[in-house]
Amino acid sequence: MTSASLVEQEVGAAAAAPTPAARTRGLRKVYGSTVAVDRVDLEVPEGAVLGMLGPNGSGKTTTIRMLLGLVRPTSGEVELLGRPMPESAGITLPHVGALVEGPGFHPFLSGRENLRRCASAEPLMASGSIRGAVSEALERVGLSHAADRRYRGYSLGMKQRMGLAAALLLPRKLVVLDEPTNGLDPAGTREVRKVIGELHAAGTTVIVSSHLLAEVEATCTHVAVLHRGSVVAQGELDELLEAGSPAVVVSTPDVQLALDSLRDNGIGARSEQDGLVVDLVGTTAPYVVRVLVESGVAVHEVHRRRAGLEDLFAQLTESEESGDQG
Amino acid sequence: MTAAVLDRPLRAPLGRLLAAEVRWTLRRPRTIIALAALALAPVLMGIGIAIAGEGSRGGPGGLFGALAGNGFVLPIVAMYMLLPVLLPLLGSMAAADALAGESAHGTLRGLLLAPVSRGRLLAVKAFGVAVVVWLGVLVVALSGVVTGLVLVGSNGLITLSGTTLSVADALLRIGLAVLWVGFQVFAVASIALAVSAWTEHPLVVLAVALAFVLVSAVVSALPNTEWIQPYLLPTGWMSLTDVLRDPVPGTELLRSTVKALCYSVIGLSLAYGRLSTKDG
Repeated sequence: MTSASLVEQEVGAAAAAPTPAARTRGLRKVYGSTVAVDRVDLEVPEGAVLGMLGPNGSGKTTTIRMLLGLVRPTSGEVELLGRPMPESAGITLPHVGALVEGPGFHPFLSGRENLRRCASAEPLMASGSIRGAVSEALERVGLSHAADRRYRGYSLGMKQRMGLAAALLLPRKLVVLDEPTNGLDPAGTREVRKVIGELHAAGTTVIVSSHLLAEVEATCTHVAVLHRGSVVAQGELDELLEAGSPAVVVSTPDVQLALDSLRDNGIGARSEQDGLVVDLVGTTAPYVVRVLVESGVAVHEVHRRRAGLEDLFAQLTESEESGDQG
Repeated sequence: MTAAVLDRPLRAPLGRLLAAEVRWTLRRPRTIIALAALALAPVLMGIGIAIAGEGSRGGPGGLFGALAGNGFVLPIVAMYMLLPVLLPLLGSMAAADALAGESAHGTLRGLLLAPVSRGRLLAVKAFGVAVVVWLGVLVVALSGVVTGLVLVGSNGLITLSGTTLSVADALLRIGLAVLWVGFQVFAVASIALAVSAWTEHPLVVLAVALAFVLVSAVVSALPNTEWIQPYLLPTGWMSLTDVLRDPVPGTELLRSTVKALCYSVIGLSLAYGRLSTKDG
């Protein structure tokens, strides 16, 4: 068994990249007659920051719960840190920090006491270092001042920070954060970004689920878009954004002249609010610029237009929806 | 790099888990209040019996009659009175918070993610409940002993058989009673723990556990149910007074302890069956 999986690992390593931090194949979860997640093939490379995007109810949390072995999939496979889940929970989970479905703590205990309780259940935590680790985690999420107050009296944002602190009690190989910025003010959101940045810099793989696009765009290297329980797009953030529809935006006062000359050369263009948008279909940016300059158009600025994540997201989730309805 | 470290399951030391569980349980305000209320019960009984005793000397016989001038009987009487409802209520409350309550707060998920395996989780929870149960019984007994000595006074324990036991022997009998009552209450708490694994509403656990105790008690008092009576917990609860006899007739005490253990095994098995497949 062990040798078999070892061989498999070696083959996998030889074939391509090292073992991904998390991988699912044909993942499916059915609750009664509701299909929560269907045909999810996810791959999270080691060291990546994966943003899981999707509207409410798209299966983000269910997928995460299956990744962590909290829920047994109806069918399909889950691998966490190269090990099958949920069978290997005892091996993998000590190296995983997670905030799933909101923070869970006891209202009558202080923040510090709550974290001590979490810490004492952590297999990798040495008994002697619990006190220090708890203080450090509280410091890291900015809760030191409220550490000895009862959790009951915490604000929504403070509760969320506690959840983050519990996930950060130990150095981890993988940190999973399900909607980490829920209820946080802008300063708190920035701090979460900072924490994710620090984890990334330390080589930790991070999976963040969110429905806030700006947050994902700011912090992630990879993106997976879920819609109605299935992955509709995934890959490196930059590649996904480029893949949209390549175009350049030209700033010029001679809009009409530019449009005419481009049309004469068979290049599609239109005037939009932020300038002249030129589609790079069957042409290249240098060629477009040469055409414009040769036609005597005054070009002030040319930049590549990246489809924002928001456009991409709308494209992936809304078109399908209207298609279904129509 | 990952493969080098990820080769075997890791577990937090069991002692640390148990200590954390007990610490958490005993910090819970409702546990403290319940224990305080239980401590008050023997005091109230002692005062009531002292007042009644002054009114009618040489009144009723039996257990209460044995109390006159016999302080060491008070803890036994108190346990006898609290066993049918209030002590099982304490055990069920602890069991309700142990799984259903933790599930409702989202803290059970935290433990499963640590990870604490589900079997260990149940063991830790059962231990926490047991601590509350025996602590509750012990509090009743201690409060009973103190109240009995202060209000009634004693030079030892006069048994129902008429013999007199030394203080040391009396305390031994009380200790025996604490042990026995604890098993009975833990049996109910184990059933409650099974319910607790099935729901995330602690109130449901309390309701089912209390209904279980009361229905058992009613059935064991009905005529024409003799065939089922040996299997019901409350049927054996009368035998507590056996510790006040000399020598102690152990048959019934032992039989009811075995019965309680059977109930505990059934309850914990059901709880494990559910917990092992439950979504976290």
